[in-house]
Amino acid sequence: MAYSFSTLIQKRGVLPGFSLTLGFSVLYLCLIVLIPLSATFLKAAPLGFQGFWDVITQPRVLASYRLTFGASLAAATINAFFGLLVAWVLVRYDFFGKKLIDALVDLPFALPTAVAGIALATLYSSKGWVGHLLAHYGIKIAYTPLGVVVALTFIGLPFVVRTIQPILEDFETELEEAAASLGANRWQTFSRVIFPALAPALLTGFALAFARAVGEYGSVIFIAGNIPMVSEITPLLIITKLEQYDYAGATALAVSMLVVSFTLLLTINALQRWAHLRKF
Amino acid sequence: MSISIHNIQKSFGSFRALSNVNLQIEGGELVALLGPSGCGKTTLLRIIAGLETPDAGQILFEGEDATERDVRDRGVGFVFQHYALFRHMTVFENIAFGLRVRPKSLRPKEAEIQQRVHQLLELVQLDFLANRYPPQLSGGQRQRIALARALAVEPKVLLLDEPFGALDAKVRKELRRWLRRLHDELHVTSVFVTHDQEEALEVADRVVVLNHGKVEQIGSPEDVYDHPATPFVYQFLGDVNLFHGRVQEGHARIGEAEVALPLGTQSHESAIFFARPHEIDILRESPGASALSATILDIRPLGATVRIELDREDGQGLIEVEMVRDHYQRIALKEGEAVYLQPKRLRVFGEHELQES
Amino acid sequence: MASTPISASARIQHRVRTEPFWVRMTLLIIAFAFLLGFLLLPLTVVFVQAFSKGWSVYIEALLEPNALLAARLTLLTALIAVPLNLVFGVAAAWSIAKFEFKGKSLLITLIDLPFSVSPVVSGLIYVLMFGLQGWLGPWLQAHDIKLIFAVPGIVLATLFVTFPFVARELIPLMQSQGTEEEEAALVLGASGWQIFWHVTLPNIRWGLLYGVILCNARAMGEFGAVSVVSGHIRGQTNTLPLHVEILYNEYNSAAAFAVASLLASLALVTLALKSFFEWHLKEDATLTETTS
Repeated sequence: MAYSFSTLIQKRGVLPGFSLTLGFSVLYLCLIVLIPLSATFLKAAPLGFQGFWDVITQPRVLASYRLTFGASLAAATINAFFGLLVAWVLVRYDFFGKKLIDALVDLPFALPTAVAGIALATLYSSKGWVGHLLAHYGIKIAYTPLGVVVALTFIGLPFVVRTIQPILEDFETELEEAAASLGANRWQTFSRVIFPALAPALLTGFALAFARAVGEYGSVIFIAGNIPMVSEITPLLIITKLEQYDYAGATALAVSMLVVSFTLLLTINALQRWAHLRKF
Repeated sequence: MSISIHNIQKSFGSFRALSNVNLQIEGGELVALLGPSGCGKTTLLRIIAGLETPDAGQILFEGEDATERDVRDRGVGFVFQHYALFRHMTVFENIAFGLRVRPKSLRPKEAEIQQRVHQLLELVQLDFLANRYPPQLSGGQRQRIALARALAVEPKVLLLDEPFGALDAKVRKELRRWLRRLHDELHVTSVFVTHDQEEALEVADRVVVLNHGKVEQIGSPEDVYDHPATPFVYQFLGDVNLFHGRVQEGHARIGEAEVALPLGTQSHESAIFFARPHEIDILRESPGASALSATILDIRPLGATVRIELDREDGQGLIEVEMVRDHYQRIALKEGEAVYLQPKRLRVFGEHELQES
Repeated sequence: MASTPISASARIQHRVRTEPFWVRMTLLIIAFAFLLGFLLLPLTVVFVQAFSKGWSVYIEALLEPNALLAARLTLLTALIAVPLNLVFGVAAAWSIAKFEFKGKSLLITLIDLPFSVSPVVSGLIYVLMFGLQGWLGPWLQAHDIKLIFAVPGIVLATLFVTFPFVARELIPLMQSQGTEEEEAALVLGASGWQIFWHVTLPNIRWGLLYGVILCNARAMGEFGAVSVVSGHIRGQTNTLPLHVEILYNEYNSAAAFAVASLLASLALVTLALKSFFEWHLKEDATLTETTS
């Protein structure tokens, strides 16, 4: 036993502090993250599979899944397109205030979600600056599923930009010059030389934005209207169940979301490894 | 301080970095660990320093077991391949570091530290750089500061990992002469790692040739160059011509030729012969059975010597011969000329010796 | 530099690598419109709404006792969560970047785990641990300890959501710096603490500050997770973001935005510091390249 333990932590190098730092890290990780997460899965066990299935297939729950995943997908797609565009403009063009814009891209990371929520709700309500313009054309955003998409687009905005940017910055100018020297026009160079190189990063950014959107709560609830079956997202439904003391229901929903989150995490890890390999 | 290394073994996963290495280093010696990359030379150096722990074996410092001794208590100075200067500290602070981190009771007074650092800076002739930061220095300057930093703690052993590896050719030559002079001045036991045979031969008192984690040969520079113990050492130290043939009755049979070998050479059905380019004579007239016929392909004057490339008549490959310029001008060889090659010295390795290495 | 004429080859190169003027303009305009609608206008709305009823209402909203108590709780939470996660981040990065051991990549993945969990679920897991219906609920109640719907629950949920920030910043940074400088210090006789303090810390300071500032922003701004465990008791378990929600739901929009503007300013300061640290990080990275 002693032997297997020493081979398990066999280490290279003689710097001090290995046992202390690794021991503390693992202990802290267990206490704050792993034990509470496992406890949640255990809490769902008494439901049994049938009970679990019944909870997560209730019509109201299914409607919330449709909205959560649909809006997240829409928002991630919007972000993939505009994120690529913003990254391109920030890396390739010079304009006044570029540094400021570049720094502002991270605003959704830094701005508390509740603040983003009330700001977006106000801005896109039928009386808001943007909302009243759109109201002319009969488009309602706040308090509809469209509002959910807007909020999720906001919080996912930095992901695509920040994954594309470094790839675009390091992109070898010679490749573009080679394409041009071979007679490719600008669009051909972009679509056949530059875009394929960006694709893994773009996909990673898309997945990151999607994963973040699926779990988002704070920025959505103010703008969504939260009408059951129409504009109620799954995280909100968990809170609703909790407020009704339906702990089993809340746990079942939480477990279903955790499974999705972990799957997404693994997918993103695989994507990042792929993107990394493609770089060389 | 003398260092004894007994049966050292080290593996990284399934890779055997060192197998059964034995080595004795005398006090005050300057020893080179020479070998191709991946031969285990850096690992051996790090094990001596205590930066790596051996899987098995023993290290003795001055006859005392130091295998389990902490790096900090070994009294070694280590110069890293990329110098590892602390880049947020000035040159002065880098050199003073080893003195400043001592426990209060052993720490020299500030005035002493100042004096010691300036002495060292003078020793490496870089006193004017005291307040610069490492990124502002050239490669050669960084190297000398790294050395001064290692010497500050008055180590009993100085260990250098590829000390000139990251420098350009000219600076490298200057620095290695400087290092040799410095060693003659300080006489601290020193071990350095290199993959450059010229460097090892020029600087070291003794050379340890390593390959695949094993010691191939230990000896003085003349020893390893003139009397290589294995085919590997022969090929690794300088250019070499290789002939296939066999050994019969004290003669080497290479194709049609028959060259006399030193007395007592064993017979081999199949053997390999080595001769360095300067150990082969080019003759106009056939000396009899002891020469190979060849055609001159190319003649290249390289400063004081001339390198001549020849094609063997029997189609067994190319031969390189080096001769001094005077001799070349005297015999006035031409490209395309048919000549005879006579090895002045041949080193024989039987086939079984080759399989070992 | 700007006055030197561009050589012919540079001009040709420039033409090869860029688009016609009208394409550039169109792309710029679209990008600006997008960023305007999703970043600049929401940010502006916060400040405009905050001052919509004048300065006095603004100041009053901020100085109201419940707002002050919420601010105090927010600061307290960050003051506990950030240092703890900082210590964890440094410890984890030290063991991961400076040593080889089995299960390392699994450990890195597990450290990232909290980022992938929905904030609501992050709060819920502690309710299921320590709440009345949770695993330890009955025991805690028997000993009269209240974690959920109380301050400790808020701190725990914040610890969870800000868990990876410092670690994920330091791990790649310390990995890229290698171990040579630390080994050099070791050979020169430095103790573990001296190595960390004099050699490692100066090399990672900007990355560390970067992680800390992001960790702090999230700790002060977290809404979902804290909302689940807080219980929303005014003056007791309300943080600033929760206070914003309550005011907004009471249709006290000016006050809600006044408090929100405080948080938005924090975000702007965070972004400014982040850019500053990033600049230093890049600087350090180029130095690393030139020294080795």
